[in-house]
Amino acid sequence: MQRRDRGVAQSLGGPLTKRVKESRVLLVGAGGIGCELLKNLVCCGFGSYRSAPATENGTEVSPAAGHVRKAEVVVIDLDTIDLSNLNRQFLFRKQHIKKPKAFVAKETASQFNPSVAIDAQHASIFDSKYNVDFFEGFDIVFNALDSLAARRHVNKMCLAADVPLIESGTTGFMGQVQAIKKGVTECYDCNPKPVQKSFPICTIRSTPSQPIHCIVWAKSYLFPELFGTSEEDSTDMAVTEGDNAEEVAKLKEEAEALKKVRRMMGKSEFAQEVFNKVFHDDIERLRSMTEMWQSRKPPEPLSFESLSEGPSIVKQGQTLALQDQRAWTLVENISVFCYSLDTLSNRVQGGENVIEFDKDDKDTLDFVSSAANLRSHVFGIPLHSEWEIKQMAGNIIPAIATSNALTASLCVMEAFRILRSQPAKANALAEPTANNHIPTKAQTTAIGKPEELLGGSKMVFLTSKNTDRLITSQPLVGPRADCPVCSPVYAKVAVSEEREETLEALVDLLKRTVGYEDFSMTTEAGIIYDPDLEDNLQKPLSELGIIGQSNGFITVTDDSDEPKVDLVLSMTIRRSPVDNAEATGLQITPEKIELPPKAQAAYANGDMYDDAEPEPVLAPSAGAKRKREAEEEVESAKKRAKSDVYVVEDDGAILLDD
Amino acid sequence: MTEIAPREVTPPPLQAPTAKEKKYDRQLRLWAASGQRALEESHVLLIVGDENLGSNSTVAGVETLKNLILPSIGNFTIADSARVTDADLGVNFFLESDSLYKSRADETRRLLSELNPDVTGHAITTHLSEWLELENSLQPYNLILICAPISLEYLQQTCAYASENSIPLIYMHSAGFYASFSIQLPHEFPIVDTHPDPESTQDLRLLAPWPELEAAVDSIGDISTLSDHDHGHIPYILLLLHYLREWKTSHNGQYPSDFKEKTEFRDLVRSGARTNNPEGGEENYDEACASVLKSIAPPPVGSGCKEMMNMPSCTQVTAGSPNFWIIANAIKKFYDTHGVLPLPGSLPDMKATSTEYIKLQSIYKAKARADVAEVTQTVRQLENDLSRMSTKIVDSEIEAFCKNACHVRVLTNPNNASIPELRLAISDAKTFAGLPGLIENDWEGMLPVFIALDAPRKMDLSNLSEDADVQESYEKAVEEVERVQGGELHNISSVLGGMVAQEAIKLLTRHKSSTQMAQHLNGR
Repeated sequence: MQRRDRGVAQSLGGPLTKRVKESRVLLVGAGGIGCELLKNLVCCGFGSYRSAPATENGTEVSPAAGHVRKAEVVVIDLDTIDLSNLNRQFLFRKQHIKKPKAFVAKETASQFNPSVAIDAQHASIFDSKYNVDFFEGFDIVFNALDSLAARRHVNKMCLAADVPLIESGTTGFMGQVQAIKKGVTECYDCNPKPVQKSFPICTIRSTPSQPIHCIVWAKSYLFPELFGTSEEDSTDMAVTEGDNAEEVAKLKEEAEALKKVRRMMGKSEFAQEVFNKVFHDDIERLRSMTEMWQSRKPPEPLSFESLSEGPSIVKQGQTLALQDQRAWTLVENISVFCYSLDTLSNRVQGGENVIEFDKDDKDTLDFVSSAANLRSHVFGIPLHSEWEIKQMAGNIIPAIATSNALTASLCVMEAFRILRSQPAKANALAEPTANNHIPTKAQTTAIGKPEELLGGSKMVFLTSKNTDRLITSQPLVGPRADCPVCSPVYAKVAVSEEREETLEALVDLLKRTVGYEDFSMTTEAGIIYDPDLEDNLQKPLSELGIIGQSNGFITVTDDSDEPKVDLVLSMTIRRSPVDNAEATGLQITPEKIELPPKAQAAYANGDMYDDAEPEPVLAPSAGAKRKREAEEEVESAKKRAKSDVYVVEDDGAILLDD
Repeated sequence: MTEIAPREVTPPPLQAPTAKEKKYDRQLRLWAASGQRALEESHVLLIVGDENLGSNSTVAGVETLKNLILPSIGNFTIADSARVTDADLGVNFFLESDSLYKSRADETRRLLSELNPDVTGHAITTHLSEWLELENSLQPYNLILICAPISLEYLQQTCAYASENSIPLIYMHSAGFYASFSIQLPHEFPIVDTHPDPESTQDLRLLAPWPELEAAVDSIGDISTLSDHDHGHIPYILLLLHYLREWKTSHNGQYPSDFKEKTEFRDLVRSGARTNNPEGGEENYDEACASVLKSIAPPPVGSGCKEMMNMPSCTQVTAGSPNFWIIANAIKKFYDTHGVLPLPGSLPDMKATSTEYIKLQSIYKAKARADVAEVTQTVRQLENDLSRMSTKIVDSEIEAFCKNACHVRVLTNPNNASIPELRLAISDAKTFAGLPGLIENDWEGMLPVFIALDAPRKMDLSNLSEDADVQESYEKAVEEVERVQGGELHNISSVLGGMVAQEAIKLLTRHKSSTQMAQHLNGR
């Protein structure tokens, strides 16, 4: 009799088929690549192991020690479905728009095989419940993400949990797959990723010369000032050395004056006030600074009275806003400006206190497009259609079904290679063995034929330029000895919930276990301990943000003359009761840690990593900031290429559709 | 308050951006509305071979269709006479438990159709022998996909039809960790939108200025009398034209031609920059110098375009010629008359005041529009002469051709060669003669995959190479293919489906160039 899994079993052979069926895999992201990956996983037999009754009870993903690892596919995604996803994210249909991607993906994929075990979670991967313990519960993790920050986060979590990660991304016709394993291969951060070009604040606010400057002004300055919380400054612009301090001060005053105008929202003259403030008064002030215009054409202020046509202007704007393929004329831009301001004001009056720019929120796009164009007009910069502005403002990356399909299937191909090469983990959560997180020496390639890493797994590229072959690959490379993310040794500290320990207890534990003399400790919030900073020693760990249930890390740096590599600690909740005879409620695993000497840092150059120069802080900041920073970093990942498409290429590292 | 200068824009759509435009937004940014239209006008046929070995590459075929339905081809047809088996259920995502024992063509059509309501699916459930023989059986389709294995008779018949009717055909085969595909191109296959590197598309016509451009140079007057500000803001294009005049007067009216002269010319330009300022130079002069080697050249004509203009299809158009060749003929007339192609009309960014830049930009755009108008007139004349008035070529098609004229190319399959699998199967002498050389130089070791998957069974594989290791690799590959008995591995078929669809889209949208080689994959 033919079996359902005949194809899989015949191709993979008995042992690998069993490995695949029994494995527990994590899929981070259910977007373009995620949908394809989920299909590939269920069609290749992942999550289909049945029989042992012990696996039937636990649907909860519990990190409890000794818990039996359940064969399943866990998929996590925070997003909801949008119309523009449907051209490639094939598990979603029109009726699913606005529903969580993770749930719908599970629902559709389950129709293929109702008995396949999929656990869908509508959540952010940055959530603290997805800590190192959680990641340790998987045989393989797949990244199907669209953000640099999330990619880097999962990379670090997988390094800490010592779980193989398959990283992937696509851009237009191009794509890339990379397998990552701690101490064996390069990690995602071994090669620096491009950082966003942040525009000098004066270019954006005073002397724009390109359309993008006006768009950033409308999106990251004017819009938040009028509709946002405007508390924090955007990363799109920053005060740089080239900025004139006097001008920066003036710009602060200007923003204050705009806040006053904001209070008039809801009154009939609001649009006119905003218009005159930003396109007349502010421009007049700029114009008066003659030294600024010696080598540039001075801006030409616009005046509302001379253009206004009464209330019909809003109605015209509404009609015009539908024509997004052609560039609006000056008068048309004013109409759209008034119309969108009107619509957005009404939304605020209707109770929506804060509106954020979203390229798919048409009202906000109308406003940003018209405002950017008006500013372009003032500065003699060519105007653009809304469709073009959407691409620039929204950092839109072209995305198609085929590249995602190819990339996702290549990911599973790498997964087979890894599963074949890695011994199966015990059917319970693996206990870290001594030094298993330490980079082994075996990674270095011998002279001559390179050693096969991860069962011959490859770095795979989809290309479009080379017409001879669509898929190219190269052998994986060992980790960079000086990579700030994967060169450290990772270890875990279990924190007792019943006994509150101080930082001093942790410091003592580290001295005992590692044999440190001079060392310092840093969390996301900054330095918490070094030989000259003892203020925190008596504080409870929780006050410093060090708690069992978290996904944060403590970096321990050796400050001796011949330093060892950094030690990176993750936290977990201590399961075993604290024996009263013990000196501390803290436990470190592995119990014995030997750190190899540190490689010369030839790599970290400050501007790559935010935390390169941490400021000492006495109290940790709120964890909620993370998500925001993460999002900003995403923006920063995408820089504008010279063509009209946003692409980021870095030595073959392509970032990305989800 | 002045109205801003009119800009060249695409004709305004009078209605809102449709839900459709929103849905396809991410791909429109890649192949534009013209590519999308071509996709939507296409009807793709998927023929599943009749050998019923395992799943017969149907997963690869269905995955290909999925990747074409999502971006919205117009129609697809699945021709498959098999019934759904248990093994199909385990590997084909577009089947469900209830599909068991039903027609595989019907069931996959039904589930694929759910992906996109804009696409119409059809199924042919009878055996190839029953429908392929019918008259005009292949007539509705403009792309044919074949899932191997298929019996030689039908493969030959289909390939011959595709060749005679200038339709591209793609053959694919997936078994276990192995997969391969090949494309059979029509005799001539024009590609307008070659998506060249923007740098290489710059055509500034510095050595063939037209009167309006000459007038712009005149209007600068004596540059030595200009203020520092004005002097530092002359667009570099005008600077180069200015110095070219100076050069010509001292070189018998000749332009700088070789590298040495161009270098001398660059020094001449550089010597004109004012350096008595804080920056110690002028940005516009830097730009001018930097572009000398690239820009001081006769107006470009791409080699693909030259070849195109010499093809009989271009020189001898008929009432039945495709639009492409009618426009190509008009372009050729333009070239014969003027010695240059129509001007693309785009300008690079440069240091200039906004006013000057816009002025220069409109000179280039006006010239480009005039050139398009001339070509359009020729096209209309041709349509008239050939009595093609009922199917007028749209202006935007002519405009796009003119813009890309330099980079247009026609892919050819000069001898109407069929796919290598077929040539091997019919024991084509030339193919067999070339095989030892291929085996010898197969440094990536992919040929065994091809041979094992697609060599005819009667072919003797016992003595392909004298090298024992090489010979063994062929035997192992054959063993591997026998071992899996036509069983597909989903992700390998999915890779193949992705590759085939990618190439199919390039063919249908006439986007970039497509591979003309057989592609093999060993996923082990």
